[in-house]
Amino acid sequence: MISPQELFSRRAALRSISSGFGYLAFAALADQQARAENKPGPKVPGPLAPREPHFPARAKRVIFLSMRGAPSHVDTFDYKPQLSRDDGKAGASGRFRGARLLGSPWEFSQHGESGLWISELMPEVSAHADDLCLLNGMHTDLPNHPQAQVQMHTGNHQFVRPSLGAWTLYGLGSANANLPGFIALNAGNGTAQHFGSAFLPAIYQAARFGGAGGRRNVARRGRGNESGESVPNIRNRNLDTDLQRMQLDYVQKLNRAKLSQDVHQPDVEGVIESFELAFRMQDEVPELMDLSSESKETLGLYGIDGGETDRFGRQCLLARRFVEAGVRFVELTHGNWDHHRNLSEDLPARCNEIDKPIAGLLADLKRRDLLKDTLVVWAGEFGRTPHGQGGDGRDHNNKGYTTWMAGGGVKGGFRYGATDPHGYEAVEGKMHIHDWHATILHLLGLDHEKLTYRHAGRDFRLTDVHGVVAKEILA
Amino acid sequence: MTKELLVKMHTHPLLMGLVCLGASGLMPAQAEEKAASAEGVKFFETKIRPVLVEYCYQCHSAEEKIKGGLRLDTREGLRHGGDSGPVMEPGKPEESLLWTAITWQDGDYEMPPKQKLPESVIADFRKWIEMGAPDPREGEKVVIKTEIDIEEGRKFWAFQNPEKVNPPGVEAGDWPRSGVDHFVLAELEEAGLPPARDADADVLLRRLYLDLIGLPPTPGEFSSYGEAWRRDPVAAYRAKVDELLARPQFGERWGRHWLDVARYAESSGKEINMTYPHAWRYRDYVIDSFNRDKPYDQFVREQIAGDLLPIESDEEWQENLIATGFLALGPKGLNERNPRQFAIDLADEQIDVTTQAILGLTVSCARCHDHKSDPVPTADYYALSGIFQSTRTYFGTINLAVGRRGTKLLELPVADEAPLRSMSTREMNFMKERLAEAEERFEELQRQARENRRDGGNNNIQQQILRVRRTITGFRARLNAVDSKGIGKTLGMGVQDYPSPVEPVVLVRGELDKPAQKVPRGFLQVLAHEGSPESLPVDGSGRLELAQWLTSPENPLTARVMVNRIWQKLFGQGLVTSTSNFGATGQAPSHPALLDYLAVGFMEDGWSVKSMIRELVNTRAYQMSSEFREEAYLKDPENVLLWRFTPRRLDAEILRDAMLCASGEIDMDRPRGSMVATAGDTVVGQRLSPELINREVTYRSVYLPFVRDGMPEALALFDPADPNLVTGERESTNVPGQALYLLNNGFVLRRGEVMAERLIKEADKPRERLELAFNLAYGRKATTLELEQAREFLWDFTAAAVKKGDERREAGYQALGAFCQALLISAEFRYLN
Repeated sequence: MISPQELFSRRAALRSISSGFGYLAFAALADQQARAENKPGPKVPGPLAPREPHFPARAKRVIFLSMRGAPSHVDTFDYKPQLSRDDGKAGASGRFRGARLLGSPWEFSQHGESGLWISELMPEVSAHADDLCLLNGMHTDLPNHPQAQVQMHTGNHQFVRPSLGAWTLYGLGSANANLPGFIALNAGNGTAQHFGSAFLPAIYQAARFGGAGGRRNVARRGRGNESGESVPNIRNRNLDTDLQRMQLDYVQKLNRAKLSQDVHQPDVEGVIESFELAFRMQDEVPELMDLSSESKETLGLYGIDGGETDRFGRQCLLARRFVEAGVRFVELTHGNWDHHRNLSEDLPARCNEIDKPIAGLLADLKRRDLLKDTLVVWAGEFGRTPHGQGGDGRDHNNKGYTTWMAGGGVKGGFRYGATDPHGYEAVEGKMHIHDWHATILHLLGLDHEKLTYRHAGRDFRLTDVHGVVAKEILA
Repeated sequence: MTKELLVKMHTHPLLMGLVCLGASGLMPAQAEEKAASAEGVKFFETKIRPVLVEYCYQCHSAEEKIKGGLRLDTREGLRHGGDSGPVMEPGKPEESLLWTAITWQDGDYEMPPKQKLPESVIADFRKWIEMGAPDPREGEKVVIKTEIDIEEGRKFWAFQNPEKVNPPGVEAGDWPRSGVDHFVLAELEEAGLPPARDADADVLLRRLYLDLIGLPPTPGEFSSYGEAWRRDPVAAYRAKVDELLARPQFGERWGRHWLDVARYAESSGKEINMTYPHAWRYRDYVIDSFNRDKPYDQFVREQIAGDLLPIESDEEWQENLIATGFLALGPKGLNERNPRQFAIDLADEQIDVTTQAILGLTVSCARCHDHKSDPVPTADYYALSGIFQSTRTYFGTINLAVGRRGTKLLELPVADEAPLRSMSTREMNFMKERLAEAEERFEELQRQARENRRDGGNNNIQQQILRVRRTITGFRARLNAVDSKGIGKTLGMGVQDYPSPVEPVVLVRGELDKPAQKVPRGFLQVLAHEGSPESLPVDGSGRLELAQWLTSPENPLTARVMVNRIWQKLFGQGLVTSTSNFGATGQAPSHPALLDYLAVGFMEDGWSVKSMIRELVNTRAYQMSSEFREEAYLKDPENVLLWRFTPRRLDAEILRDAMLCASGEIDMDRPRGSMVATAGDTVVGQRLSPELINREVTYRSVYLPFVRDGMPEALALFDPADPNLVTGERESTNVPGQALYLLNNGFVLRRGEVMAERLIKEADKPRERLELAFNLAYGRKATTLELEQAREFLWDFTAAAVKKGDERREAGYQALGAFCQALLISAEFRYLN
């Protein structure tokens, strides 16, 4: 808890400019104070203040690429030659015993110095093989999309629990006073739980942004937001910046008068601070979401060219811009991976949409020297069966699948864990979602057993009573 | 979604369940006993057991594996079923999954998988199931034992009955105005802290209005109260308290507090998030109950067992049925595949809300193991669970492809005078035709699919089948919501008893496939008191007894928890700060004797919520100023001892309502139903779109659509109760999303503009307008400095706008609007002192 003395000093600073000077005086003072405290930029107030991790962090921030619908692992990142050899035979796996095995219709080959096996569906990402850490032994509790997605995000599919991003922000705070610390791009309907804070203070939940600003608002599809407004209430329909500043100066004058009257009121201090952050966000957020300042070369790198890669490319580029600006946790969503049928057409199409954008993201982070402490995570909620469904599809499979990580202190060109020869069940280096969460927190310098929050009389954590850090994958 | 038709019976509602409700899927205990006859046992031993051992145990026994969560090596396992639900319906082979599996009728379940059993064996199984599946196997019975010493646990303060203590003596004998004040002052004196001075009249009036009815005083009320106050402050105040308690807006404010606790929402939340178009009836029931000052014990009984209470009229029955919506409107995972899992999760949610809301205990923690900190053994949890498992919950929702757990709704005995969602004959006919077409198409597609399967072709057709099925479900849902004349049916959410109760089974670690011993239905041992029933009736769930037990004066928690909730809403924090957790991991009371004094008084006073509120707001403690005092703050920063009134933020609903009051637009009439009712059965985000949810309306916020994971922005941003949880205390965050909303949202901008128009209309001179503005926004007179600064702002703003090319008059309007908005979003407006 902040000591009363500390509160008094902050209060005094806010109150001493109680009338007449307006925002400039306030800003100058805040800046002075920040410099006096030897911290760059505006101080992040209250519960979002940056906090030291439990131990030195390998990753400072996360970009989570969430693939909704569960991509097939045996056609992308889990090479199964035996499955190809047994193509057409009756399998012997679990509840699908007797169904015909379907060898991957796509070629796998080795890439990079590490020689990781990756399928031909991911040519661009394959070029970064030596940065990838493939987690081939993943498994999760249920083969149902919604529950598995909720479990992937919160660890618990049954109860409403804080999300991975919220825990991260709770553990580490935010690095930029002008932006929210947890941003979700292109989150669909009904995903509030994936980004929620549950019993953690509401401030740790994600700010959900539609997508890239401007007329080409392609990062979000479907209803709404066609106006180009990508963050709710980011613009005032009546007032330009100058007039709004005048209005806000007046509001702050009223607020400071109130603070002066009340003498000590942390909430009113919070009001004053959040108005200023909001006002700054109005400048910074649309600018951050405006990609026009990026070079043609960079846009090309992400595949932002009006074609199939454009949409996800924009999101990836936005993610880089956000983490560069100090956002702690950014999540992107790419959908339609549920290939019960039409695998041979739809899977290549989906892979094509993400391959170049992700490769571009990795390349761009690397050349900006951000990859070393930015953890990029690629994951679906589970994998798919080695046997076919209707001849050209695969069914849900929670027993074994693949996710991967890159940067942020994981071994590159590394493969951890394995499924059985057909790719049905994880058999070694098994990593349950709880272990996966524990490992991600570990990379961020957080001990998953110590990152707790007291609620309804007991300490909760992301991993409940489970979770083993996969030390093997740490660089 | 066809409705259960409830036959109206006035005399004996207990019989209702028996007479009107259909098959439950539960096996009556008598039939089971019959099955265990000597003949049956012999048949099992000679014909059935050897087959189970030879063909089934290798995949379905503790020795080998337990595939699909199904054990066939014990009687319990066989009776219990597996991940796909029950496998055995004794007496009914056709309804038993076991039968379907061994006869290879369903491609998904062909057992044993390698080779079908000989026809003669299959015939034996049929006979055996028809006999009632006699099965003498005892198995290795798992019995979950407890380490908890109930008697020892009973010593904890919360499990001791509250005792009325006389208020303590104090030094400053002229300060207290009531017994409560004596308790407060005694603690303050002990700590050497003087109480704050009395609050100013205007501050106190605004506080009282916002706390009691959730609306600020109007300028007229403000001035007339000022006059009365000058004549006799105490009498003026008390008269105002009585007046506010009698207003219908009281229930809208205090009902909302209960709706927070009851995790009220108009959709299922979780994965599918289907609407509950009839949940609003419960909302209105709660509001009306507070307005009528329904005794709290009765209020609780109605919500737990309203369907079982004696009644004298249809209207009363109606109200009681709606009350049980409390148990029905929780969050639900409608896409759960396993019906049994769904049933125990539903019971768990009901236990959770009931025990937290009413007892302030987290009994759900004992689902998987003994409660870690409170004397609640797992067996107690399952005893309670048995009551809810014997209860059938009617929550509606439609079964689309992914939502598969929908239920019927209760058809209420008193039809709405003006039914919602009625349909013209033309509409109805149109829909019937479309439905018939879709059904025909469905048949056709299924035929094709069967042919395709035979030919081994692709199953593209499944996609079409899904689509058509969705269409059919949608049409049926809409047609089912009206009667034959197209008039909307009067439906409600709630519960009924199953014809015969379940004997609950303790589950190891809460896992469905790990049954342990059976326990009798019952309550919590640690709260057993004089008059607790020895056992629960065999012809009912036991909910009625549960409701009576909860509200018995011998129950040490119910009254304490409620008075503490009331206290928390008026004083900012509870005497027990963890308002829904009175257990060992909750907080101990700051003033234990005061809590008991209030709890006993509450019960003696007939559990009257209004009387309790009156008593508390009439204390001098409530009427203290919120003035800050550094020396007191350093001693007691959390204001636990109440050395002043704790300032606090307005709730989301009040903030919005207060803006509408300031602009003069608020509509005090209760809207019919809810936007969710108008949208009908749908998924949140579809027909109930974000645009609809955020549509601008001027009625009170308590009537806005309150859906899980899709609340209107005006509420969502300002920390409303999260209806996925029991919410006793709301959060109070300061996030930039709120500031952006206040600065830029159209709703807020318009309130500023309309308020500006109001100023122009109601006052002629510029100075009067400014005075009125402060009065409307802050409920007090403006200071000279404030008027000066306001004038300066208007002047500067207008000049700047003109410089930008605005026409002068237009710029003046804009400035006044910006000024009004500034007041509405400023801290003083958003907080109460």
